Amino acid sequence: MSSVGIKGYAYCLNHTPELGLHYGNTPYIERMTRGETEFLSELPKHLQAYGEAVSYAPNQAYIGGITLDEYEAQPQPWYENRMADAMRYGKYGEIMPEDEFLGLIDICDVFDLIWLEKGFASLVKEKLVQDPVISETILARLETGHDQEDIDSEIKDHKAMPLYIDGNVVGCVRSGHEVDECLFPYVLLENIASKAGGVLSVLHLLKNSAISPQEIDFVIECSEEGAGDMNQRAGGNFAKAIAEIAGCVNASGCDVRGFCAGPVNAMIAAASQVASGARKNCIVVAGGAIPKLYMNGRDHVKKGLPALEDCLGNFAILLVPDNGEYPVMRLDALGKHSVGTGASPQAVTSALTWEPLQKLGLSFQDVNKYAAELHTPEITLPAGAGDVPLANAKMIAALAVMKKQIEKKDMMAFVKEKGLTGFAHTQGHIPSGVPFVGHACDAIRDGKMKRVMIIGKGSLFLARLTNLSDGASFFIEKSSGTEAVGAISKDEIKNMILEVLSEISESLK
Amino acid sequence: MGKLAGKKLLLLGERDGVPGPAMESVFQNSGAEVIFSVTECFV
Repeated sequence: MSSVGIKGYAYCLNHTPELGLHYGNTPYIERMTRGETEFLSELPKHLQAYGEAVSYAPNQAYIGGITLDEYEAQPQPWYENRMADAMRYGKYGEIMPEDEFLGLIDICDVFDLIWLEKGFASLVKEKLVQDPVISETILARLETGHDQEDIDSEIKDHKAMPLYIDGNVVGCVRSGHEVDECLFPYVLLENIASKAGGVLSVLHLLKNSAISPQEIDFVIECSEEGAGDMNQRAGGNFAKAIAEIAGCVNASGCDVRGFCAGPVNAMIAAASQVASGARKNCIVVAGGAIPKLYMNGRDHVKKGLPALEDCLGNFAILLVPDNGEYPVMRLDALGKHSVGTGASPQAVTSALTWEPLQKLGLSFQDVNKYAAELHTPEITLPAGAGDVPLANAKMIAALAVMKKQIEKKDMMAFVKEKGLTGFAHTQGHIPSGVPFVGHACDAIRDGKMKRVMIIGKGSLFLARLTNLSDGASFFIEKSSGTEAVGAISKDEIKNMILEVLSEISESLK
Repeated sequence: MGKLAGKKLLLLGERDGVPGPAMESVFQNSGAEVIFSVTECFV
């Protein structure tokens, strides 16, 4: 089988302005190295309230609160044109407020590393019980809490890191080891928060796909976090840890890494296992990255904008054998940025788009949308990083001109028709193509689109192992039905064998 | 050899724009010396 069905998808955000303010890498490093600077004193004035995050059009596009056509019709700038009727829950998932997310982090902590203050824990429990995906079993994992003085003492005397709501300490993250930096509170918070975001998306995925957790066979996690200890800094495994909390008792799992190319590579790994029959089904999941909160905050503050990078992004996608019922991910025409491809934009774009198109005998016009790096432009433009999805669409259009598939004068029309307006937070791996999988599958089911391409690109050079970057891509389209399980009858196999034998006998004459 | 001959170059690349190694290739026969080349990711 060279295609797999995309049965379900979930996209959630965790609105975490105070985690960002204290532990986003940009403010955290500034505070550590330079003290309370002007940027740090100004940043709190630019934080968005929960209601503002909910009514922000890109966030609604991400959780499926609006379609992408509705998103395109929203007046800009989005931060000045909030959506009046926006809701916490969308078709794909939810935007969870920070207090409830701290509760979810505690639920996902199995080593008593997270301590919440008693009154806060009780308040959060009352709120979380109303979330349709938080079951009684999951909620039972929430601790009853600790006395404030015990939390204060843990922070003062035992290197714990405080957790805040409205500027007040409501809990802490305890240290996992005396000397092992991999188990210090900052790393543990980053990892458990990513796990919690992944769990939330898996819970929504199970609901959206009308499948029980016991039916899940395998989970592949693809964030950019590293969980381990000083002997194996990124030993893993987030996937199995997420599956455990989500109740997927029959699943195992593993992690796939590749910076922002991780999710597309994880989709390919998962699809290959399902297509081969090695797994009955597979979830691809990733939680968000606390260090990337307010990464561009300095520029947002300088330009008098709201500090927009206040949400952790997460997603989960369920792949199943292609039975003709669901839109499919094709495995017979993958885009691959090989070691020898080179670094020029032309070579990279060609490897990721033109080469897979050629494998299927298709032209650039045969694809409805190209989804690459879907960062919200309102976040990246003020920081001087440009409109990333637009830049990628322009490169694809330029390549289409070079390959003589469109006229140069039609380039911008191609970009408008085939490109996408970004709607994902600058959460590294999250924007890289995958946020479009849900919208694309809906459009394919509705007959509005025929074929789309998902493209992920990863900055491998950031780890100082290689100067290379990476990229991978795949097509999603309507199932042809010909790959359906059991679709080939015994008679058809017999006929095929007879045809081959007949060819051999002809060649022997 | 063009007008860059004998010059020293600092190349700042961007992943979704033009990466450092791509610029290095362009200037390979220019007569200029690349003294620093890097690719950064701002997203």
